Amino acid sequence: MDLFFQSLLIICLGGFSALTLWRKFYLMKVASVLSIGAGCFLGLYDAMSKMIESGQYSAKLSYLNTYSLSFRVDELSAFFLVIIFAVSLLSAFYSFHYMEDSEKSLRTGVNYFFFSLLIASMALVVTADNMIAFMLSWEIMSLSSFFLVIYNYESGENRKAGYLYFVFSHVGAMFILAAFGLMYGHSGSFAFTANLAAIPESMKILIFILAFIGFGSKAGVFPFHIWLPHAHPAAPSHISALMSGIMIKTGIYGILRVYAILGHHSLACSIIVLSVGIVTGILGVVYALGQNDIKKLLAYSSVENIGIILIGIGLGMLGMASSNPVMAVLGFSGGLLHILNHSIFKSLLFMGAGMILHKTGTRSIDLLGGLLKKMKFTGTTFLIGSIAISGLPPFNGFVSEFFIYLGGFKGVGMDKMTFTMSLLSIISLAIIGGLALACFTRVLGIVFQGEPRSEAARNVNEDGISMIVPMLILAFFCLVIGVYPKMFILMAAKAMSSLNLGFSQAPLEPFIEITGNITCAASIFFAIFLVVLALRIFLYRNKTIGSSGTWGCGFTQPTPKMQYTGSSYAASILEFFKPFAPLHENHSAIKGVFPEKTGYNSHISDIAELHLNNAVVRPVLYLFDKLRWIQHGDIHLYIGYILLAIVLLLFFV
Amino acid sequence: MMESIILWVLALLSAPFFSALILKVKAFFGGKKGPPLLINYYTLIKLCKKGSVYSTSTTYIFKMGPMISLCASVTVLMFLPIAGHAPIFSFRGDIIFILYLLGLGRFFTIAAAMDTASPFEGMGAAREAYFPIICEASMFMILILFYTLTSELRLAAYFTGCQPLELWLTAGSPMLFIIFSFFIVLLTENSRVPVDDPATHLELTMIHEVMVLDHSGPDFAFIEFGSFCKLFFYSTFVARLIYPFSTYNIVWDIGLFGISLVAVYAAVGVMESVMARYRMDKVPQFVLTSFALAFFAIVITLEFVK
Repeated sequence: MDLFFQSLLIICLGGFSALTLWRKFYLMKVASVLSIGAGCFLGLYDAMSKMIESGQYSAKLSYLNTYSLSFRVDELSAFFLVIIFAVSLLSAFYSFHYMEDSEKSLRTGVNYFFFSLLIASMALVVTADNMIAFMLSWEIMSLSSFFLVIYNYESGENRKAGYLYFVFSHVGAMFILAAFGLMYGHSGSFAFTANLAAIPESMKILIFILAFIGFGSKAGVFPFHIWLPHAHPAAPSHISALMSGIMIKTGIYGILRVYAILGHHSLACSIIVLSVGIVTGILGVVYALGQNDIKKLLAYSSVENIGIILIGIGLGMLGMASSNPVMAVLGFSGGLLHILNHSIFKSLLFMGAGMILHKTGTRSIDLLGGLLKKMKFTGTTFLIGSIAISGLPPFNGFVSEFFIYLGGFKGVGMDKMTFTMSLLSIISLAIIGGLALACFTRVLGIVFQGEPRSEAARNVNEDGISMIVPMLILAFFCLVIGVYPKMFILMAAKAMSSLNLGFSQAPLEPFIEITGNITCAASIFFAIFLVVLALRIFLYRNKTIGSSGTWGCGFTQPTPKMQYTGSSYAASILEFFKPFAPLHENHSAIKGVFPEKTGYNSHISDIAELHLNNAVVRPVLYLFDKLRWIQHGDIHLYIGYILLAIVLLLFFV
Repeated sequence: MMESIILWVLALLSAPFFSALILKVKAFFGGKKGPPLLINYYTLIKLCKKGSVYSTSTTYIFKMGPMISLCASVTVLMFLPIAGHAPIFSFRGDIIFILYLLGLGRFFTIAAAMDTASPFEGMGAAREAYFPIICEASMFMILILFYTLTSELRLAAYFTGCQPLELWLTAGSPMLFIIFSFFIVLLTENSRVPVDDPATHLELTMIHEVMVLDHSGPDFAFIEFGSFCKLFFYSTFVARLIYPFSTYNIVWDIGLFGISLVAVYAAVGVMESVMARYRMDKVPQFVLTSFALAFFAIVITLEFVK
């Protein structure tokens, strides 16, 4: 048995042990965390070695003697496996101190069980080599994550979030099934390696669009993203880290895999991917800017990053369509690297948000403030994550965006269509970058800086070594990839080789040169920083350092309530995007000489959610309401339906 | 290489001098004598001699802010071809790195302002986060134009030697648009009138000045020096476009480049003297003008020049 399957077995054993040991709360946690952690570590080691050797490994299992399940690890799978096992390992450790409620022992055990299933099924999804194996793992993944989302099922809101996620993942799965069905109809084989050359080009586009919708609904592509901002806040934070950091990337994996299988490099597909990516990226960050719930905000920011990844992949596809291999390599490697980067900083940020939620009990950013003074590690790692996710040097977010930019500029010199799409991608990347900066300075500024806005934020502390260490490790990698991206870009380039791009291994020297430049530029920055730091220390020697309150511009009685809030910080930017992010305000006017206590609240609505509700959900509900007479409860007529169905089938089949 | 380093040091040393020119021009329009031309050096020295007072609300980010924003501006000047001479460092895509490094400086300026818990500084921070988004978009628009003209993505390829003249010769009319577009970006990024009024005395109406209200002593000197360098950086763009020639003699080049820089700074000063600050909600439209100009420049280039 291969090391890969052994590691999955160990992970699942961890989950099963949690189910049997739930009466002993700590023993259960130790056993399952250690076992899941060990399994992930083994898997990580195995994936790394497969990545380096770039040997392909495959296994076949027979299921019910009718369908064979086959799995294969190629470079693309290995790349995703590295991400899956690395982030799962850290979230497993994070969960040790995060799941502290021994009252809910059984529920925690069940949570660990589905947690292990989710990790194993994600690993199987990215290695599946035929449609049956893929759909089976895909369903296990969707279902186990559904149970993880409804961990706090007492709250009606969480149940609703779980239901929404359930509906979306299954409607998405239907689209994937339709795409696979069309592929099977033409090739007559379930295998991904089947020869699909016979499929007409127009059919390939249809298959790609169907798969794109299906996988996009998992990835959180606009307008199928609306389950994300509901499901992520509902799930426990280490689960959000896992779901946002890697599970939604399996959707991207699916899109890449279908692209590789079809081998169809048309302009149409790349334009679809690019324009969807642009819309997803910009609207994702605009909605993130408008959120007051920190986990909701991070969920929308995941939508934004999926947009950036799609822009990268779309530019790669555009490069293929216009036969410009350099642009293709830059786009794909940038997109793939951004998958890795996003999984690092997004799980870091979710873990930070989890620490805040754990210690203060609130997710509302306008109730927090000044946490950096009490939570040194969480605050500092959150700062690093925020810089990285805004795509600023010398952290990792910059590297992948830099590659995507270079890919986009390669397309600028081409024909009109390529030029237009490249121009749009570059400009939207610039706008996304600026908005992300606004969004994350807002979170950082409101949550971690300033003065506490509530009692809960005033009396906090930071403990739980198993929660702090994973954050430190992730923050460390944000910096390492940002300064030494060479190894990681090589990984991404290697993963690209299984995309069937038609050209054998592209020359890597120019890309290594780019990474060298980034390292050099980052070193210059650090050198100057050291000089400035030395200068600062020199200028401050033997100086009197005073301390007093913040200058209130003449006002002498400031209170924390007067601080700028998250809503006011974002107001003017959201005003600019008003048509896409309608703002709803609710406050009672001040009346009379002695006004009563008044309040104000505002929220922005997601136009996808609004329109999906009005244009899809309501008509569907109306239609099914009208069809209710079919379900009348009369058993005789039900038997009649069955007869009718059989008769009809006799005619048609 | 040695010459590049000397030019870089010269740029650092002369940046405060040029900024004082703006004050002088404003004083001239106001019928006043104005401060001495070396006023900024006196201010920097005075600030460096002082100690600091820190607000009890602040954390280490407040102290990091001035350092990082100074670092960003100083590093950026290393990639800038000063007086048409090759910069110290240059690589493919360095301009993207530069823009994002300035973004890092902005991130820390905003974070330092949010650190003080002051509502006024929050207000300034929100504006500082907003307007540069549009600036960045128009900077990238201009970059796309330059890329279509030169197929290069290095700052050195646009502004070294007679390279700007090449730009003018291949696409003269779009360059006129670009000068104005650049100038608007310069005014916005450096918080000048009509986007922000550095001389105003009401905190509510400021952007940059209100964000640094609580900084004092050497920290404040860092911020001031950083903003002089940043203004120098953007002015060089415009200066190289209005004087695109090169004599290939370093002394002459420095002199002529200095004169063109003086022209740009004087233009900023005139602008500040004859215009009032826009209402805050009109500012985005002003900045969008720069984006639109760059966009039209691209359209003209694609349709008529190429």
